[in-house]
Amino acid sequence: MVSRTTKLLFIGPGVAYLAIIGLFPFFYSLYLSTTSLNLTRPRRSQFVGIDNYVQLVTDPLFQKAILNTAILAMGSIALEIVIGFLIAKIFYEIAHLRTVDWLRTLFILPMMVTPVITGLMFTYILNPTLGVANVLLRMVGLPESGWFGSVDVALLSVIMVNVWQWTPFLMLIMLAGLMAVPRELYEASALDGAHWYQQSWHIELPALRDVLLVGAIIRLIDNLRFFDVVYIATRGGPGDATEVISMFAYRQSFQFFNMGYGSAAAVLILFITLFVTTLAMRYLRRVEHG
Amino acid sequence: MASARRTRFLLYIAALVLTLVNLAPIIWIALTAFKNRAQIYQIPPVWIPDFAYLDNFITVIQGYWPFLLNSVVITLCSTALCLLIAIPCAFGLTLFTFKGREDLKMWVLSNRMMPPIAAAVPLYLAMRGVGLLDTWTGMVLIYTGFNLPFAIWMAMSFFRGAPVEVLEAARIDGCNWLQVLVKVMVPMAAGGLMTVAVFVFLFAWNELLIALFLTNRNARTFPVILTSFSGQAQTVWEQMAAASIIQLVPPVILTFFVQRHIVAGMTMGAVK
Repeated sequence: MVSRTTKLLFIGPGVAYLAIIGLFPFFYSLYLSTTSLNLTRPRRSQFVGIDNYVQLVTDPLFQKAILNTAILAMGSIALEIVIGFLIAKIFYEIAHLRTVDWLRTLFILPMMVTPVITGLMFTYILNPTLGVANVLLRMVGLPESGWFGSVDVALLSVIMVNVWQWTPFLMLIMLAGLMAVPRELYEASALDGAHWYQQSWHIELPALRDVLLVGAIIRLIDNLRFFDVVYIATRGGPGDATEVISMFAYRQSFQFFNMGYGSAAAVLILFITLFVTTLAMRYLRRVEHG
Repeated sequence: MASARRTRFLLYIAALVLTLVNLAPIIWIALTAFKNRAQIYQIPPVWIPDFAYLDNFITVIQGYWPFLLNSVVITLCSTALCLLIAIPCAFGLTLFTFKGREDLKMWVLSNRMMPPIAAAVPLYLAMRGVGLLDTWTGMVLIYTGFNLPFAIWMAMSFFRGAPVEVLEAARIDGCNWLQVLVKVMVPMAAGGLMTVAVFVFLFAWNELLIALFLTNRNARTFPVILTSFSGQAQTVWEQMAAASIIQLVPPVILTFFVQRHIVAGMTMGAVK
């Protein structure tokens, strides 16, 4: 029916483009990660096999980066889901009122904010001496905080900023999920005398399961590549308190020009991402097919 | 019934307050952009500045307009090029059948998983090799590539909804496939394709990591300039705020433009 040439002309350019810009970096990174390439050294790079990976796994800073990334991802996603759910419920109850569309769009604006700006904004707001956050804390009589500058609070501050930016996303997709629940289900359960928390548990959560899974996967991928805010606000510090894996790989490759080692870290990030998403997508497909 | 209405009213107030609290950081930066040097360091802070004071905006635009221009050119060109390649590709993947089509689609999607940091070193070395480091062309080519998986996948989800009969009717009337795409499919899916364009635009406009080391002086984008506002010995907060507000204008406007499609856009059509 459709000639081969036609198919090729339509699909070919896109696929070829992706092959160049997707496959090439992948295999080149794989190759680099097995070399000792360092742009600052005159010595030619050599094949070192899996040495970079062995060194990575035993590098305390990389271990810390993995740990921090895990805490960041799980802490952020958990908070985003809980807070997002509560806010989605509120917007769900008033969904039919006038002007709510506008209010909802205003509410989700943080997730459209350029991540660099998010970092800058909170660097200013959470600045220990002239930031408005500490001024407000003082006004209500609470102790001030060092935020990004304090070893104990820095990672928590990063999580907080992350939650500020991305709770709207979880809220929005859960709202879409809630809207898809048939009204009759609520009415029937209300007749049976179910409380609101029973309704949440037995009707809403099952209905939201798929939506939540999609949302969690997307946020997990985001968190595994989380970079901009840390780069702006803390550069991984103080000490290694907010070192995350993207920051680690960036520093190795573009600050120390230790590109073999940096590539190994980058390849690991890629594999972790692929592994997690493949697992989750397989689960999703199983759910879809019953 | 009266109590249900009161509950709804209270919930509306709650939503209003939550929205205000959520926007507070952005509002605070917007207010800061209108303050002068002395007001920045005033404690207690100046809550409401003089909105006629525009020096910060003028200074930022005068000092950094070439980089703003870089951002605009790179973003617009990569958005256009990306759509030009993605639309026919998505059309073909939706309508034409061939062996391995589903695998090809999944492979397109899997490219989306590539973390920018993993592509950064190879792209840096490649761009240096072909002399495209720190150029508009280089940045446009790379952003186009990064956006393709998303654009193809999203466009497919909009094309799938189109009625096949209309397309077949156009074929019977003697249109070739390119005409079917341009004259029938694109107008039918125009709303959806606009959404794709907006998200592609926003990715390029907001991107930092790639621009950070692939641009130096000539093609440096505005987000990279923004990073220079932090970490200096003495940060020029009022200019940082003004620059932030300038950077935020397109995202905020476009959000209202696509508000109904945001969920589909953010989840690549997985949640509608």
